[in-house]
Amino acid sequence: MAELRLTMTAEARNVLTDLLRLIAPAAARVSVNRAKIPDGDAEVASYWTDTLSSQAAEEARLLATAFANAKGEPAVILLKNDGQAFAFLRALSAVRIALRELVFADIPDAALEGAELLDDESLPTEKRHALACYSCFGLLQQSLIQQLDPEAFE
Amino acid sequence: MGKPKIKPEIKTEKVPALASKWNVVVLNDPINLTGYVVMVFMNVLRIPRPLARKYMLQVHEEGRATVWTGERERAEMLALELQQWHLNALLEKDG
Repeated sequence: MAELRLTMTAEARNVLTDLLRLIAPAAARVSVNRAKIPDGDAEVASYWTDTLSSQAAEEARLLATAFANAKGEPAVILLKNDGQAFAFLRALSAVRIALRELVFADIPDAALEGAELLDDESLPTEKRHALACYSCFGLLQQSLIQQLDPEAFE
Repeated sequence: MGKPKIKPEIKTEKVPALASKWNVVVLNDPINLTGYVVMVFMNVLRIPRPLARKYMLQVHEEGRATVWTGERERAEMLALELQQWHLNALLEKDG
């Protein structure tokens, strides 16, 4: 696979990096707590939890490092192989889930899929800010998937 | 008059116990993108795109889809792997 370059404005990079500092550690926790782990066998359950925990922590580190190192204007994140690209995709998914569960759990699913909420001035600024980041992480995922598998959204 | 000859052909044999089967089920979530879910199904379940897309639509429209059925150990591996991709996957005993 050729290297993948994710580019964004420096402003977007700064905003997303700030949010990631807050949410990435929680994202690791949420993805483990949310998982439906079979409880019939203690050994399996323990292995299962450990696997999810270590991966989630690794993903949080990967995202934090990638955004922190994305300097310049536009800011660029380089993903050198499939493994990095897939890990980055999973990490973005974890962050979006954490935002959904921790910041706007009260917003109905249907509303979340539309962009109207971003202009809803009745929402607190922090929540609108988190929603904007949530959308932005989704756009990054979409852009990455379209490069990895151009037919994925067809 | 002689008795009819009966050959009852009685025999006893061992029948191996039927191993129970397990389903890997994926539940809908409003977060993961459709293209992401298709890509994950193709990569984790090693299935062709049309089937991956069918499962994705079933999850989206019906709220859940059974994406794999078989012996427990493999089902556990697949469910764990789908969860590592942050899909809402779980194990259910078949039947």
